[in-house]
Amino acid sequence: MPALRTDGLTKYYGDVRGVEDLSFDVEGGEVFGFLGPNGAGKTTTIRTLMGFQSPTDGTAMVLDADIRDAEALRTVRADIGYLPAEPSFNENVTGRRLLAYHGALRGDVRSDELLELFDPPLDRKVREYSRGNKQMLAIVLAFMHDPDLLIMDEPTSGLDPLKQEELLAFIRSEQQRGKTFFFSSHILSEVRKVCDRIAIIRDGRLVELEAVESLIDRSGKTVRARLGGEVEAAELALDGVHDVEISGDAASPEPEERRDSAVGPDHATTVSFTYTGAYEPLLERLLEYEILDLSIEEAPLEDVFMRFYGEDPSERVEAVENGARRDATDEDDKNARRRAERSEEADV
Amino acid sequence: MFETTRFDAERLAPSSVVIGASIAAFGGMMTLIAPGILGDVDLETLFEQLPAAMVEQMGLRHMGTLEGFIAIELYEYVWLLGLGAYLAYLAGGTIAGDVENGRMDTLLVAPVSRARLLGERYLALLTPIVVVNVVTFAGVYGATLLIAESIPLVDLAAVHTLSVPYLLACGAFGMAVSVAAPRRRIAEGVAAGTIIGTFLLEMLVSGTDVSWLGAIAPMRYYDPLGALTESAYDPTGAGILLAVAVVLLVGSAWLFGEVDV
Amino acid sequence: MKTATDGAPAEGPSAVSPLAEVARFEGRNRLTVTAVLAVLFSAFGALYIWIGPQMIDAGFSEMLDAMPPIVNELFGFESLASIEGLLASEFYTLGWIVGLGGYLAYTAAGTVAGDLGEGRMDTLLAGPVARRSVLLGKFVAVLVPIVVLNVVVPAVLYVMALAAGQSLSIVDLAVVHALSIPYLLFWSAFGLLVGAVVRRGRTAGRLALGIVFLGWLGESVIATTDYKWVGGISPMRYFDPQDVLIHGTFDLVGAVILLVGVAVLLTASHHWFGTRDL
Repeated sequence: MPALRTDGLTKYYGDVRGVEDLSFDVEGGEVFGFLGPNGAGKTTTIRTLMGFQSPTDGTAMVLDADIRDAEALRTVRADIGYLPAEPSFNENVTGRRLLAYHGALRGDVRSDELLELFDPPLDRKVREYSRGNKQMLAIVLAFMHDPDLLIMDEPTSGLDPLKQEELLAFIRSEQQRGKTFFFSSHILSEVRKVCDRIAIIRDGRLVELEAVESLIDRSGKTVRARLGGEVEAAELALDGVHDVEISGDAASPEPEERRDSAVGPDHATTVSFTYTGAYEPLLERLLEYEILDLSIEEAPLEDVFMRFYGEDPSERVEAVENGARRDATDEDDKNARRRAERSEEADV
Repeated sequence: MFETTRFDAERLAPSSVVIGASIAAFGGMMTLIAPGILGDVDLETLFEQLPAAMVEQMGLRHMGTLEGFIAIELYEYVWLLGLGAYLAYLAGGTIAGDVENGRMDTLLVAPVSRARLLGERYLALLTPIVVVNVVTFAGVYGATLLIAESIPLVDLAAVHTLSVPYLLACGAFGMAVSVAAPRRRIAEGVAAGTIIGTFLLEMLVSGTDVSWLGAIAPMRYYDPLGALTESAYDPTGAGILLAVAVVLLVGSAWLFGEVDV
Repeated sequence: MKTATDGAPAEGPSAVSPLAEVARFEGRNRLTVTAVLAVLFSAFGALYIWIGPQMIDAGFSEMLDAMPPIVNELFGFESLASIEGLLASEFYTLGWIVGLGGYLAYTAAGTVAGDLGEGRMDTLLAGPVARRSVLLGKFVAVLVPIVVLNVVVPAVLYVMALAAGQSLSIVDLAVVHALSIPYLLFWSAFGLLVGAVVRRGRTAGRLALGIVFLGWLGESVIATTDYKWVGGISPMRYFDPQDVLIHGTFDLVGAVILLVGVAVLLTASHHWFGTRDL
């Protein structure tokens, strides 16, 4: 049985869709990232999983408790840690009193140890806390009863980079102890660092669910090559090539010379594109040119996510350039036109 | 056990003491100046001019006495109106306030049921109720020791004891509003406003043809004037108030279990 | 290069003064509560018009003489023999003097202290806005409930009294409401000062409300004693609906004293708010 399983989970606020038909499993011991742009429904999902609001349709099992069963959910909450998106506490009491209070409600087995890592000023009133101090107090509260499952809504927000690193390291070490994490985020570097699998939601719907590694594999490589001679985008139209950028070689000799001899052995073109196919066809095609320089790298995660974060789900967003989105359908047309414009400029 | 009650009670204690001390000081002062104020009212002559039934019904015979004076000045208005509205306001802010600012999430993570949480927060309202009652009782009784007249101790104790069900009912109403209202300010306004409204309604309709309208007012079931001046206690009224409080609480607990926070 | 501001004047700070902007924003926020209060007061007033004749017939006015003077003082029970007398007592004493006065003090204190306590004031003052503009803007905004209620409620009362065949002097009604404005402004200004000093929304509001309540109780008690002059510190001394509605006299000096009080309180809160750290 997975630690957390959603089954067609749907939450509407009146006619407004919060999330719709979410189905996924989080296995015990994994760190599961839950990603999406602002307003995608991450917090709605999390608060529904915690039983703070009831699903409109579908359900979810959290540590074997059906979230529609308040009594069962109450029992398993002893084994759940929760970090809200914006921790809010009684302002008029000290952190220490709050720690004692929540410790009495949910149990406290390791707050001393946690306070060495995350150290809000316990003897000051919460009113005086900075955002970061509140977050640290919330982190201590989330872990103090040594829960098996942690549900965290943007856990690193408000923390300084050092504390962010400490939290991520702490999450990894807790995972070693067999804990399960379900956390929402939109910070890709932290997702890349700790998550085993991710789900991406947009407009309340699940659009992707995959292991981080295979998502990155599948989303291909960024290929950058400096090739001798003039190269047309059409020449590189292999299966799996997207988003071709071509520019005249900035390292080429004086402009007059280029204008005089548009094609010459000392002229070079830099091409870059995203490639999702196999290596052989790509290398065979590239070998038709004189390769002056070649790098094949993992695509940055940002580019991967950009595809899922776009406005219209039917159009796969490929890149953002000059503030304007381009999509895959008229990719080649536009590229050709842009390249034409660019080479004209370069030739003037 | 009762961690939430304790936590809430700690935070309610300082204001309870301040309010208790203020009311006790006010009540004590009233008691001290009462003999001077009451001296010049010739009641007997007046009562002879009024219909006998009316005198009886309104408890006028004791109006000019120390007990009557204190009952009206302190208990009718400060207790029924002021403290009743304050309890409703306080209760109105509990659930609605925590839900509004997200504290409820932090609380509900713990393995406690919502019904229990609501019950514990309600019990914490006993802090102001008990503190203000005890302090004021002591203040008024202490003041009577300094003047020639006195108020029967039993009556005074009864007024305070019987006010507990009344205040609990006001608090329970506040809890119900707190669960049902979308926002804290609305909850507080509706809770306190309703108590004030029913007070005015009861005051207005009593003695008229439409006095049955006042039956919805909790003030109908707690009569400090009668208790102080005629030793007329109304245990049935107290029972009704407690029953209403229980019904309201059970209803709020049920509703709180159903709603999204 | 086409930009959004083509053809239109640049989007700088608006031509309206910051004070007016604050007042407009805050005033708009008060519209809902104002409407609710107007309905409630009108409904409550209607109850009086409806039940009043019964109370008059029941001989309540004789009963009054039997009450201790303190009670009459507290509720303004001077005459329950006419609709004016009835209104002057519970409706205006409890509703206007205690109720509305208390609400305005509570809400004025809460708006300043709430903004200070929750950091909204930082956001507001990050703009090129003087602290004085914020404070005065908030003060101007409480004119919304004051003016609306003082126009709507007497109009409704008058129309209902006409419909019910009761006599109600429109002049007296207008004078009571006009004179209540300085009184209500006083408590609003008082609330601002409490808010600027106490700085915690809910505490400040409750404190201001408590003081209104005390001012009313205290003044009523003291008025029946030999130390009547002590009650002079209470604003309730300077606004007396009974005078107008029952005796047809009015206390313009009292209104002026209240307005002077408003000026003093505003100056004090401005000084406090302007010289303290946020």
